[in-house]
Amino acid sequence: MATTSPLLVAKNLSISFGGVRALKGIDLEIQPGEIRCLAGENGSGKSTFVKIVSGVYQADGGDLIIGGNTAHHHNPIKASDAGIQVIFQDLSLFNHLSVGENIAINQLIHRGSWRISRNRIREIAEPQLAKVGVDLDLDAPVATLSMANKQLVAICRALAMDAQLLFMDEPTTALTSREVHRLLEIVQGLKEEGLSVVFISHKLDEIFSVADSITVFRDGDKVGDFNAEDLDEASLSKHMTGREVSYGRYHRVHEETAPILEVKNLTRTTNYTDLSFDVRPGDIVGFTGLLGAGRTELALSLFGLNKPDSGQIFVEGKEVTISAPWDAMTHGIALVPENRLEQGLFGDQSVAANISVAVPDLVSNSLGILRAASVQELSHQVVHDMGVNNKNTDVKISILSGGNQQKVVIGKWMLWNPRILVLDSPTVGIDIGSKAEIYDRIHTLASKGIGVIFISDEVGEIAANCNRVFVMHEGEVLREFREDDMKAKDFKATLAGLIANPDSVSVESGSAPAEKVGE
Amino acid sequence: MLKKSPFRMLFNRAMNPMERLLTVVIIAYVAFVSIRNPLFFGPQALFDILSSGAGLMILALGVLIVLISGGIDVSFAAIAVVASYTAVLLARALETDSLLFILFVSIGLGAVLGSINAIIVHFYKLPTLIVTLATASVFHGIMAITLGMKTFTQTDVPESMITFGRWYVWSIEAEDGSRTSLSGYVVITGFVMLVTWFILYRTRMGRSVFAVGSSEEAAKRIGINIFGTRLFVYSYVGMLSGLMGVMYWSRLYYINPDILYGFVELSIIAAVVIGGAKLTGGEGTILGALLGLFVYQLFSNTLVYLGLSPAWSQLFFGSVLLTMLVIIYYRQRQANKKALVFSTM
Repeated sequence: MATTSPLLVAKNLSISFGGVRALKGIDLEIQPGEIRCLAGENGSGKSTFVKIVSGVYQADGGDLIIGGNTAHHHNPIKASDAGIQVIFQDLSLFNHLSVGENIAINQLIHRGSWRISRNRIREIAEPQLAKVGVDLDLDAPVATLSMANKQLVAICRALAMDAQLLFMDEPTTALTSREVHRLLEIVQGLKEEGLSVVFISHKLDEIFSVADSITVFRDGDKVGDFNAEDLDEASLSKHMTGREVSYGRYHRVHEETAPILEVKNLTRTTNYTDLSFDVRPGDIVGFTGLLGAGRTELALSLFGLNKPDSGQIFVEGKEVTISAPWDAMTHGIALVPENRLEQGLFGDQSVAANISVAVPDLVSNSLGILRAASVQELSHQVVHDMGVNNKNTDVKISILSGGNQQKVVIGKWMLWNPRILVLDSPTVGIDIGSKAEIYDRIHTLASKGIGVIFISDEVGEIAANCNRVFVMHEGEVLREFREDDMKAKDFKATLAGLIANPDSVSVESGSAPAEKVGE
Repeated sequence: MLKKSPFRMLFNRAMNPMERLLTVVIIAYVAFVSIRNPLFFGPQALFDILSSGAGLMILALGVLIVLISGGIDVSFAAIAVVASYTAVLLARALETDSLLFILFVSIGLGAVLGSINAIIVHFYKLPTLIVTLATASVFHGIMAITLGMKTFTQTDVPESMITFGRWYVWSIEAEDGSRTSLSGYVVITGFVMLVTWFILYRTRMGRSVFAVGSSEEAAKRIGINIFGTRLFVYSYVGMLSGLMGVMYWSRLYYINPDILYGFVELSIIAAVVIGGAKLTGGEGTILGALLGLFVYQLFSNTLVYLGLSPAWSQLFFGSVLLTMLVIIYYRQRQANKKALVFSTM
């Protein structure tokens, strides 16, 4: 290591946006052939740093030295010529172009002739797919691929540009744990071929499984560089948040046993089969499993968006039919959807508008005319109750961080006084600090007697928040963990093993302490 | 047994649902009208449709390329009028009666006007619909004020244009001595289609147009020259419009700057959309645009064979457009529902 010169050196790099210093003098070195993780909460400056290195933003101050040369007037083309490739969180692929064209496009745009030759595309794309070890149809439009395969196409595109240094911005957000596993293997493989990878994530388990070294960002500053083996989850969280974060484990305190929600033999062909469970007041029932296990499909069915083929749903002992969201709401069921911005909020509208739109009756008079005062009052109430950091309810909701947006979504539903709250992956893309606050709110709601269904594929999250857990696989309940089962010492490990490798359950089911449900 | 459909062998892709539906509509309509009125199934109707549709198809290609790039242009008819009218006035002022000169000026001016659209859209980051709506008025208004709105009848139209309008590639003489002729315009349109296809699918610029239409942000990030791409798209549309303007007057033997602009824009955009181009960008095919325009032309030109007045054509075309959109988007929604996608499109 001592003889090799660093691939990238950043010296005192800084940038401001509208008077706010987003990066406050970052020093960083990346060596050839290492996997570095940039860790930090949302808004800590990781993404801004990547955008400067890749030439999307121009730094206000400091130097960027790439491969020994100081970069002047840096731009995306220069960055890419210097071997720096970035896979952005949204992948930046072209849905309407083919797989081959997406992989080859940089070459075609910057180095090719004005004409496009299909053979040339094939020549460029095929070896990259081989390097990554996947077989995709080069002529298929990217729009038809799964998220995981899109991710691989993005990697191939970077490789096609002779990447020396590959930045991956939150690459695992939309992947199932099995796909994450495969992606991390591919990243390790690339490192062995001499590529440096900078992996940006706030999922701690991924960081530890892949990183050689970790650089922690907080509030636009670098906290420090660490060897991966010198940190553990607790110390890393502390560096990221600046405080000790530990999630209090949820315990149900309610005495009532009459369920508010009962589901019997619910089936929807190709989604899920024969699901039976109940939710009591104060329960936080976890549903976990890989993507495609049927969790989201179940949540949508409970909210009237995915009509079940057979089975019964009882709310407070009475059988109900839920064929539209409105039905669900009149029965007191609320859904916090998986995709906050697209399904849960109106991104271009103000916080106040987002809150008041859910409760038109509370903010308008008998003629349906809005009362501005009620809108203000209600939205302030939600913002304060939920602890949203920006108390100004007239700002566009899209400028809030993910965590604060989610608080608004949950708070909005609370105005309805729901009896059952369905949370579908409520903390995806939310940083640790906000997560803890959201968990805390959910615990409070449950203690007040609301029944909560909590869908997540993060083991830590399920363990901390739920008092009962169902593990699903391919539409069926694989196993139920009751309160007593969850007290077992190896519960988290068992749960993680079960999620990652659901097919193993048949082998060990004999010794499993929990009963299998639905039979 | 054919291993591949003939379509696949020719186009190296499967027909998309819009194209398939349009083909069905065309075949069904032609069959229906032919049964009602055997006169229809002859060269006359076909030649009429092709000859009068050739110019419109050139405009449709322009609309297509703008839609693929993620924009929408409603100034193309105004540009066609302004560019060709100016070219004719200039030729008359210089007392040259050369078709090449007129075409050159008209196409060149079209490119300039189109690039003004591109510059405004790009540097002021404005919606393309509003910009082109405004520039259409501005272009036409400037022409009206500076050059006037004088109309030219056959005797004043340059001789070379009249000859151009009377260029036929195929004439069939009927038994009663009447002639049915196919305009040479189809050759020009065919050539422009080929060029447009080549640009869109076989050049870096064409793929950039698709890329910008798919995701401008992503295109920016890999260093595609967004302004260059826009400039190309809008000036290409301008050039096509300039060409079409000259073709249009030549075939009419009459020049009136008060027609065309304001009449054809939405029909042509509708014809291209019916052919599968999406207003959201990135999608659209030349074949789709051709079929869409063919349906439009069928209804505008052939209702007379059914004894219906031309007034019916609007109703027919609108109904087909609506029905097809309903069918296509219904299928899309069903597919989305299966995949649990709830976004609107």
